[in-house]
Amino acid sequence: MIRKWLVAAALVTGLSSPAFAETVNILMEGVPDTEYVKTLLPEFKQATGIDVNLEVVNYAEMHTKLVPQLVAPSGSYSAIVVDFYWVGEFTKAGWLQPLDERIKADNIDTSVYVPKLMDLVGKVDGTTYMLPFYNYAMGLLYRKDLLADEKNKTDFKAKYGFDLDVPKTWDEYLKQVEFFTKDGINGVVNQGLRPDPIAMEWSNYLFANGGEYHDDNWKPTLNTAAGVKALEQYATNVNKYGPVGSASFSFDEAFNVMAQGKAYSYITYNFFRAGIDDASKSAVVGKVEIMPVPGTEAGKGGSLNGAWGWAIPKSSPNPDAAWKFLKWVESPEIAKKRALQGGSPTRTDVFDDPDVNAKYPYAKALKEMLLTSHNFPVFTYTPQLVEVLGRELSLAVAGEKKAPDALATVEAEMSELAKKDGKLK
Amino acid sequence: MTLAADDRRFNDLPPATQTAVERRDRMFGWLIASPSLALLFLVILFPVFWALYTSVHDYTLIAPNFDTFNGLDNYVKAASDPEFRHTLWLTAFFVAAVVLLEFALGFLVALMLNTVERFKSVYYAILLCPLLMNPVIVGLIWRMFLHPSLGIVNYLLSTIGIAPVNWLGSTKVALWTVVMVDIWHQVSFMIVLLLAGLSALPREPYEAARVDGASALRSFWHITLPLMLPVIAVTLLIRLIFAVKTYDLVYIMTRGGPGVSTDLVSYFIYRTAFVGLNIGEASAMSAILLVVILALTAWLHRYMRSLT
Repeated sequence: MIRKWLVAAALVTGLSSPAFAETVNILMEGVPDTEYVKTLLPEFKQATGIDVNLEVVNYAEMHTKLVPQLVAPSGSYSAIVVDFYWVGEFTKAGWLQPLDERIKADNIDTSVYVPKLMDLVGKVDGTTYMLPFYNYAMGLLYRKDLLADEKNKTDFKAKYGFDLDVPKTWDEYLKQVEFFTKDGINGVVNQGLRPDPIAMEWSNYLFANGGEYHDDNWKPTLNTAAGVKALEQYATNVNKYGPVGSASFSFDEAFNVMAQGKAYSYITYNFFRAGIDDASKSAVVGKVEIMPVPGTEAGKGGSLNGAWGWAIPKSSPNPDAAWKFLKWVESPEIAKKRALQGGSPTRTDVFDDPDVNAKYPYAKALKEMLLTSHNFPVFTYTPQLVEVLGRELSLAVAGEKKAPDALATVEAEMSELAKKDGKLK
Repeated sequence: MTLAADDRRFNDLPPATQTAVERRDRMFGWLIASPSLALLFLVILFPVFWALYTSVHDYTLIAPNFDTFNGLDNYVKAASDPEFRHTLWLTAFFVAAVVLLEFALGFLVALMLNTVERFKSVYYAILLCPLLMNPVIVGLIWRMFLHPSLGIVNYLLSTIGIAPVNWLGSTKVALWTVVMVDIWHQVSFMIVLLLAGLSALPREPYEAARVDGASALRSFWHITLPLMLPVIAVTLLIRLIFAVKTYDLVYIMTRGGPGVSTDLVSYFIYRTAFVGLNIGEASAMSAILLVVILALTAWLHRYMRSLT
């Protein structure tokens, strides 16, 4: 009798499960863009009847939580978000599903994405594994009130022989850093903490001097005139024009210096632009603007790109539902709604949208920044490269190594990693 | 330790001469000890053996399998890595600094507290506060306090005319800053343990010494110190083992920088495993560290016993 009941119960639950609402599980990082997605989820439920469950954790936990689920034949995450640091590792290990067939079947236009972002968190060796979610490219925050000051203008012109204005080139910017280090204010604040803060920030210096990490064959090109100049300028900015201790600042500490009005400029992630106008965190509301990191000449940018992408893991229990969610969350309407809440877009059509531009006048600068940005090397050992780079840059800033020696060490270790990964022959 | 194993009667007798009752007692001892032994095996011995097994294989997070046995390769690579050797030396220095300073400071405070009669529990409560805090939080709080231009420490120093100190951004100061924060966090541990030892000392030798006219310093040197040696040994040992494992403070406060001035070995091993994805080599490094700690522990244990 009991057995009969059990069989009946099993049958009922087994048969009725399709009738239950399906759930898409996603592991995400606790950042503003995740919050914006969260607020829109009821719309998705209404349109498709599918529940979305976001498991929000902090960055440090994400990788350790993801890997066991990705290795398992059937994991618990329907879809995931991938930081560009992990793209090489995840695709090399074969953990992500190619999306090309789904994209073709649903006629999704991926050309609306900023091309650099597709390179970073979209396509790997010609196969599309991800859709770009949000960007965290780096820009130059600067004090527009100090630039507009008449006395500064005349003093600057007298000293350097050209007008004080929004810097058009990297060299102009460095002159401004020197000029504004006065009256208790620093020309620049840097984030010199190992490993990511310093490695990411210095990358802008490298690109701004016209340098790159490697050539087409993955041969490192760091110990070059541009690389050495970039590192020497960085060390000078930290030690001479920056506040005491910026060699150990993470981005929150550096941001606080900027937000307290103690620095003229700060190169950082573009999402800090919104924070600087938040009166609860900032004493310089309305006085700071963002622009692409200037390059060797006007029109050339030196910004470092960075982004997260949506992906469906091979271990996804319900990839079809996950794809429905990806399609929805990256649709023009939802992407626009996220941007209007303050999100960092990845689609050019969202950047060009009149409503977005009306609400955020700096959207144009952000688009310009992305279009002229440069990518960090994406391969299996990206995190390890960041580690090596962080160590050597920090040694050079501390004066314990000469810039060429530090960069030579990075080149040697980077070559080894690229060889191990099969990138460098 | 099990009941049966602890009982000298059973251990000294050959099994043949044990009576049935004794054998049953012995079985019962193993029986009640078995759950904790199993747990110990699961959470301590198994991971240790797993790590040792991993350390002789080419085991990476990209290819997490034991397909390639590579003997002592990982050990040779670790031992010949100058960065690993640097972190080992730095850790040795750090451990010596924190253990000795915390011991000196802790013993001093414990001696003072031992003579205090009133408000003892209040002092205890205050002293235990840092110890109860999570090291990550300690690191974050001190990072804020020590912010060179916006932190409270440099502000207070400036009110008495001292120029801002570059606490974490200078290669010469950063390690000492971490040592200082570690002392702030862990010194109460020393105090509590040493105080427990002090309060358990017998009164009679002191009274006899006073009758004989010994000074406070003499009775400290000839009575307190010798009687306290076993407690001191244990306290130093425990603190030493914990100090070698210091990871959280460095992770939060400096990430091993500036340069490589605070790159302690535990943080380096973590990076080898989870950033470099090389679990095999990281396991070899951990094994080397384990041998060093075991040797140190054995030596300290013996040395302290030779003193008593």
